[in-house]
Amino acid sequence: MSPVTLVLFRLALAILSILFRRFHRALLLVAHAIDAVLLVGLFARLSTSGTGEFILGPWTSATSIAFSLDRIGLTFAFLGFALSLAVMLYAWRETLRPYAFLLLHLLIGSCYALSFTKDLFNAYVLFELITLSSFLLVGYERKARQIWASLRYLILSSFGMTIFLFGIAVLYHHTGTLHLDTLAPIIASNQPAPWITLSAALLVTGVAVKAGVFIFSLWLPSAHAEAPPAVSALLSGLVIKMGVVELFRLSGVFPLETTLLVLGFITAFLGLVYAIRTKRIKRMLAFSTLSQIGYLLIGFGAGTEGARVGALDYAVAHGLFKGLLFLAIGEIAALAGSDKLEHLVEHRDRFPRACRWVLIVACLGILGLPPFAGFAAKAVLEAGIDSTLVHTLVVLVTVGTTAAFAKLIPLLSRPFGGPRCSISRALGYGWLGVAILFFLPLSRLLVPRPIWLTLFNALAFVEALAAVLLGFVVYRLLRRVPWRLPHAIFGIEEALMTVLAGFLLVWGLLVTV
Amino acid sequence: MQGPIGIAAAVALFAIGTLGLVLRRDLVIKLLALGLVNTSAILCLLSLDAAPGRTPPFLSPAFTQHMVDPLPQALVLSAIVINFAILALALVFVMRIVEQYHTLDSQRVEHEVEGEDA
Repeated sequence: MSPVTLVLFRLALAILSILFRRFHRALLLVAHAIDAVLLVGLFARLSTSGTGEFILGPWTSATSIAFSLDRIGLTFAFLGFALSLAVMLYAWRETLRPYAFLLLHLLIGSCYALSFTKDLFNAYVLFELITLSSFLLVGYERKARQIWASLRYLILSSFGMTIFLFGIAVLYHHTGTLHLDTLAPIIASNQPAPWITLSAALLVTGVAVKAGVFIFSLWLPSAHAEAPPAVSALLSGLVIKMGVVELFRLSGVFPLETTLLVLGFITAFLGLVYAIRTKRIKRMLAFSTLSQIGYLLIGFGAGTEGARVGALDYAVAHGLFKGLLFLAIGEIAALAGSDKLEHLVEHRDRFPRACRWVLIVACLGILGLPPFAGFAAKAVLEAGIDSTLVHTLVVLVTVGTTAAFAKLIPLLSRPFGGPRCSISRALGYGWLGVAILFFLPLSRLLVPRPIWLTLFNALAFVEALAAVLLGFVVYRLLRRVPWRLPHAIFGIEEALMTVLAGFLLVWGLLVTV
Repeated sequence: MQGPIGIAAAVALFAIGTLGLVLRRDLVIKLLALGLVNTSAILCLLSLDAAPGRTPPFLSPAFTQHMVDPLPQALVLSAIVINFAILALALVFVMRIVEQYHTLDSQRVEHEVEGEDA
């Protein structure tokens, strides 16, 4: 039992789903059943014999294609499985072209592989595989606006990955290896050489374009808002989390604390400002994703192990409830014919009641209220932050998130009314809803027991509640204030320039700090 | 090409490609510039270990003495294939954009998409 089996199996299914296109539904079921078995097997292996390295071919881990089985990889592989299962159930009744299944298997397979890889060049190849498959999935319905959004995504992320490749070149030239475990001691003993800061800046810039950091990922709002709901759920829930995992792994090797903290605050607050002002709900969810990524980066940059682990935990929780939000909003936006708030409110009596319920669960999750996933992860993260200033700012992010999501309240009225939705969709929603509710046992996989036990205190509970209440007040206050935000920065040329500016910012931060 | 010259050329190509991406509004030219940017990273990887007298990385007794490091060469192969796939697919999408909006100008496409929003 090794991670390689999990990855190769999905990639094989991608080819089989084209060869036996009549049986694509059966193949999907088989895929998820076998994935579940393999994930349980990997978990058993991890708990009995600990972390392990799996190398393809007769080389050493410094130069070969290597997969590492560890808790982080397994947790994110589980996130991939959870979202893939939910998306399968969501799209069960839809008639899709066969190549959609090829792309879905390819995307999930590459995400599994990326969760388990500690090799930078492997990461490059897998990032590009993910880009290619998600680029085609965004434009799947062939509407011109989707195609434009995905073209911008492709150009920007290809540009970012080239910068990443330059970083790989600098690093390989000086160290002769690209494996993060072998790199860590070399980097630690050569501190502070100029080539380390240069390669770190190049690598972080490249990954940040993929990870949804505000100044780097300005392709994200339109790509995530225009894509079909199932694809948006995968993009926002899973794909950008792969960039986050890579940033986490890089931050274990390079001294990135201050850089990630600064990038985190920029992306958290800029994302929120746009999320609060946007009236199109799918776009609002995309902006909220940007701000939540900032929240994660703050956790990575806070400097303590508790905050880092808490941030990873929150990345998984966010993947679950953002996936659920995109699926449910996608369904009701399809019924209303648009995702503008006023249209949604107008048609709200026609929404299935299951959608209302899962929206409530997902919103409570994202606001960080107990007992939902967001609360547990946020409590771990905030317990790990030493500085009072950082802690206050982190609570302000929750306040802002509440202010952004408060505009969904009119959609949530009359939870017992409305028609039923199809059984497969209800199952898909239910699966993610249960995952959000029973998240605590899952996060034990990542979070060590002493930190986990700190979750159960009254202070965290009161703080979460107070932040949400304050958020509603902010929403009421800001509702009538007329202010316009610049939208020109999301054009393709401007987005490219902000990537370069972001690279200079990261490099400057790394050199000066 | 010798190492430092190759790397300087790679940085210059990257700069030219980036300028093309930012300044030219024609989508096909943008993709050509993207191709240039992608190629610059490949040139950079290839030039790392290049020096006069080095031989290509083939396993034969005559060659192994002064062989260049084979790993970047292997990495470059994957990168070339990926870049080819990206350019090919992006061109198909540009074709769809032209069918819909009858223009290659990125600003006008942006304008049309925003117009649909309002």
